[in-house]
Amino acid sequence: MNRLSFAALALSLVVGGTARADSVIILNSEEASYSILSRSTRTEVVRLPVGREPHHLILSPDGKEVLIGSTATNELLSLDIKTGERKRVVKDILDPYHLGFSPDGKWFVTAAYRLDHVDIYHADGFKLAGRIFIDGLPSHMAFDAESKTVFVTLQQSGRLAAFDLATQALKWNVPVGNAPAGVVMLPDDKRLLVALTGEDNIVVVDAKDGAVKSSLQTGKGAHNFWPKGDGRHYFLSNRVEGTVSLIETKDEPKVVGTVRIPGGPDCMDITPDGKELWVTQRFLRRVAIVDIETLKLVASIPVGKSPHGVFMLKSTATVAGAPVRAASTAGERR
Amino acid sequence: MRDLIDLWVNVQAWLFETLVSQVLFHFGLMAWYEPGYSAVEFVMLGLVQIAVIAIGMRFFERRWPLEKSGEDDRLIMVDRVYTVLNKLGIVPLAIFILTYPVVQEIELTVRTWGYMPPRLERLLPWIGDNDLLSFLVYFVLYDFAAYWLHRGQHAFGWWWALHSLHHSQRRMTVWTDDRNHVFDDLIVTLALVLFSQFVGVQPGEYVVILMVGRLIESWSHANVDMSFGWLGERLLVGPRFHRLHHALSTPTERHIQDHNFAPVFPIWDILFGTAIYDEKHRPTGVDDATADRDNGRGWIAQQVTVFGRFVRALVPKLSRRASAR
Repeated sequence: MNRLSFAALALSLVVGGTARADSVIILNSEEASYSILSRSTRTEVVRLPVGREPHHLILSPDGKEVLIGSTATNELLSLDIKTGERKRVVKDILDPYHLGFSPDGKWFVTAAYRLDHVDIYHADGFKLAGRIFIDGLPSHMAFDAESKTVFVTLQQSGRLAAFDLATQALKWNVPVGNAPAGVVMLPDDKRLLVALTGEDNIVVVDAKDGAVKSSLQTGKGAHNFWPKGDGRHYFLSNRVEGTVSLIETKDEPKVVGTVRIPGGPDCMDITPDGKELWVTQRFLRRVAIVDIETLKLVASIPVGKSPHGVFMLKSTATVAGAPVRAASTAGERR
Repeated sequence: MRDLIDLWVNVQAWLFETLVSQVLFHFGLMAWYEPGYSAVEFVMLGLVQIAVIAIGMRFFERRWPLEKSGEDDRLIMVDRVYTVLNKLGIVPLAIFILTYPVVQEIELTVRTWGYMPPRLERLLPWIGDNDLLSFLVYFVLYDFAAYWLHRGQHAFGWWWALHSLHHSQRRMTVWTDDRNHVFDDLIVTLALVLFSQFVGVQPGEYVVILMVGRLIESWSHANVDMSFGWLGERLLVGPRFHRLHHALSTPTERHIQDHNFAPVFPIWDILFGTAIYDEKHRPTGVDDATADRDNGRGWIAQQVTVFGRFVRALVPKLSRRASAR
């Protein structure tokens, strides 16, 4: 079946260039595979093997490849941005659970969730600059705009830590709440939003010293963010509640919309036209599609077991000019 | 097929989201969030297994029993308790909680050294193209490890002290397979989980291997004289083949239980010279009065007395002191 589907995919790629920008990659974390879906037909086109326990994936700074973290095999698998085909393997990246490139593209950071360390690499050649062992299940990350600091949530110890990228030194490590997961830097480059999976809210944190400024109730199991793309709104998955909240962040953050997404909603991405939000439904083995304008669930596509990371394949031209965002996916515990 | 998967997944997700995840969230146990979801699937699979045994396999035992009903029927009840405790995850949960930190620590240490599970798909990429083939290959590897563990259970005195509980049943039925001491289960589970991780079995594959394997093993203990035919008996362990392994030893067949060890694939017994194929009907049990007294005891009494047996076997001095008194 896989071969047949792959042939169908290959044929579609040959027939028209539009197919290249029409695909979505989903990481099936408990199946050691990734699915390629067609956005136009909303179907799974092919399912291909990939390492073991893949959770998150990210676009390379040059916009030419997508890197998948294969956590249990300690490696990154690179896919072609246009076709989704496998290009190369980067070895000796220990437990690459969550991944991120600094905005200037010079640093590559991994959160080794199981092995309890944060690794900072020189992005060019993936040469390890420093490994910082830190207790508490490092899970998600965000960068400041100047590419000086990476912020990492520690899910088990309930803390948020900041590391200096150039020196790999710990700047601060402070408690923020129960089971912090997703973290995102707001456009003012001063405030961080941190999702508390062990609670029903997010907190606003001062990027300077980690002080918690305020909190906002969203839904049980607040987990991860994805930017809407307008610099003001962010989507947030609430895993236990089974919802996705739309949060406005211009002044004090507030919830401006909610959509029910059953099945432990987790990672998200938006179609290039900005009209649809795709959300992995970990427990239902599906990917939900939400119409962003109406905030309605419009479709749900079957994929593999425990789908986690999601990524919209785009044409090179589309991607090259786009800002590189830290961590393409919003993940959860394995 | 997709409808069946959807039904299964929907039930699992509903149970988890409306019940289990709410409890975990309420008590601040979000570290168990993902394992909790897998636990729901484990219990659901357990219910399916119990249904297959109670309805499917029991049909054959009722229709074509090898040993007719008799006074030993009362000995079966405790085996049913074992099956329910095992299949519904109560014993496995306790084992999981005990073994998880050990398995994690070993895995993390080894991975920190740079070792990575050598997935077979790396060596033979075509295996990855076929889900069924991939599953079978890992199943065979898993069974190979289980075969040697089973030989260990018979080879070491302290281990036999535990495993003899399984063999002490005189009235073998489809419920007998789960009759094991918790500590014996713990050792075997720990070894098999570590082996599976090091050869690269995926968590999803492990669950299916466990389920299919244990169902075949339940069937191989059935009170029926059935076989899969000459070829089939050499491909898959059936009741006739495995019953010989439970046979009561006699002066002429003193080491009869040191044969037919294979849990699922008899190829291991054939390769390593421990296979016996014949059609003789032998009584089952152990020729050890102490172990035989397991029969008639309840679950707790069996667990306690067998653990005592294990300790005495492990520390012979204790055994000598006891007999001196």
